[in-house]
Amino acid sequence: MLALKLAYRNLKGAGLRTWLNVAVLSLAYVLIIWHQGIFTGMLKHGSRAVIEDEIAGGQYWHKNYDPFDPLSYDESHGPIPAELSSLIEDKKATPILIRQAAIYPEGRVQTVLLKGIEPGQKILGIPSASLGKEEDALPVLIGRRMARSTSLDIGDYLTIRWRDVQGTFDAVEGKIVEIMNTEVVVIDKGQLWVPLAELQKMTGMKDEATIIVVSQNVQGQKDVSDWKFKDQKFLLTDINQMVRSKRISASILYVVLLFLAMLAIFDTQVLSIFKRRKEIGTLIALGMTRRQVISLFTLEGAMHGILAIGIGAIYGIPWITFYSKIGMKVPQATEEYGFALAERLFPSYSVALVLGTVLIVMATVTIVSYLPTRKISKMKPTEALKGKIS
Amino acid sequence: MNLVEIENLVKRYPMGKSQFTALKNINLQFEKGEYSGIIGPSGSGKTTLLNIIGSLDIPSEGSATVLGKKIEKLSHREAARLRSRHMGFIFQTYNLLPVYTVFENVEFPLLIMKMPEKERKKKVMDALEWLGMTDKVDSRPAQLSGGESQRVAVARAIVKQPELVLADEPTANLDAENSYNILERMVKLNKELKTTFIFATHDEKVIRYLERKIYLVDGQVARDEIIH
Repeated sequence: MLALKLAYRNLKGAGLRTWLNVAVLSLAYVLIIWHQGIFTGMLKHGSRAVIEDEIAGGQYWHKNYDPFDPLSYDESHGPIPAELSSLIEDKKATPILIRQAAIYPEGRVQTVLLKGIEPGQKILGIPSASLGKEEDALPVLIGRRMARSTSLDIGDYLTIRWRDVQGTFDAVEGKIVEIMNTEVVVIDKGQLWVPLAELQKMTGMKDEATIIVVSQNVQGQKDVSDWKFKDQKFLLTDINQMVRSKRISASILYVVLLFLAMLAIFDTQVLSIFKRRKEIGTLIALGMTRRQVISLFTLEGAMHGILAIGIGAIYGIPWITFYSKIGMKVPQATEEYGFALAERLFPSYSVALVLGTVLIVMATVTIVSYLPTRKISKMKPTEALKGKIS
Repeated sequence: MNLVEIENLVKRYPMGKSQFTALKNINLQFEKGEYSGIIGPSGSGKTTLLNIIGSLDIPSEGSATVLGKKIEKLSHREAARLRSRHMGFIFQTYNLLPVYTVFENVEFPLLIMKMPEKERKKKVMDALEWLGMTDKVDSRPAQLSGGESQRVAVARAIVKQPELVLADEPTANLDAENSYNILERMVKLNKELKTTFIFATHDEKVIRYLERKIYLVDGQVARDEIIH
């Protein structure tokens, strides 16, 4: 309590020097929290978009299906088992058949994934209802990225060529019926969505599927014969790892900010001990122990961190609240970032993030404040009283 | 019982590869209520002796017993406790804490003693009244004259009413009038509170007031005079 009172008096007395340090530290707090909030928001938004549009409550994969191995697609299909058919009938699951195909936009050939989905499904956020309309050609749904890369627009026709279950090539004319605006790249780029029944008929794979997406309301799914259940946690592993790796690279800014703040505190402490040698001697002469003097100086340094929390809160909370409400415009180049990103990114802040950052900065400030004070323990009070460092 | 007992005290300092002997075979006793001074030119060892009595330093040989405690055997914590409870220090350059007000400077020793706030305030105001500084309670040391600063330093030394006050050249930076004021007040304190004062000085103005004069030459007691 005594040290706290004295440290406060000393900080108040130090005037501008204190406030400059506090300003630098508070900036470190606010920028670190703001920056980390962006990544938390990115992860939250990315996960939500992927869950809504791609994975829902989890997926059953045919035993041969490997999304990272295109050569597996030919063999990764099978009849929907009875246990899962009942889920599908209850609208708690929706099957998707995945086949490789080729299209010929603007006279070029392009390999695509042909995905059959039930037009009436509500489990994924894909606007598949448009595939249920009567058309003069096979109705095709594509994403905006796919539309941009192939220069296709609603109402355009394209030739689709595929191989059926026997390996025989066949072709059909498709018509773009809708361009969906999804943030999930993996259901957009290089993909054509068509009615499931049509694709099953085209490929001779009646009542077959490659994956079966389960509703978010269905819990505790287990493997069913040739179908392996992949839960949300597994299906989100990639996005989590990607954000983690991006967070690590972004932590360079974290370290630089922290380093600058620490440098300010360390410099102040070293200067303070050098300038206040006589004061240190006086404090000891007046009856303070060396340990008390060290505590006092350490506390003075650490109190910069406490004051910085207050100052940071004054301008940081409105700033962070403002950005978390209006979001930040994301440059188009970030579409190549590797995962779902909205046009506006809304940072997300949690109590754990704020408390964690405050604790890390406070711990670092305290350690940095303490290090130079160790010199005090080696000072002879008689020398210190004369303003000398022994 | 003597307040301070010094026996065969020797103090050496390392000086390059050799050693410099600052105090040689000192034997002294100070009784309670003494108003005494260690007198000698610069480098005679008077500040070193005062520092040892004040438990800021330890003897190289011999012993110094202050208020029944052997200085050479005290830990840092015990020495700090002895200083905070029983001793007051007055320095040539006042050594006031620059960011504190006059009140806070005088209050400081009582804060270390963890004295309750109400009692603390009363003692601080009493001490400042003794020294005629009540109109400067909110001033900072930079706003005070030399004489005023030293009066605050004296108030800080006596505020806890210690048994022993050690004053190292207290008037060296003061003019005649301020020196007179300070010394008069210290004499009054000595008489009224029976506080023991030990000065280290070579200032004639101080020497005139002393009841006991211990002359130190080259680290040795050359003369010990008691004035009746």
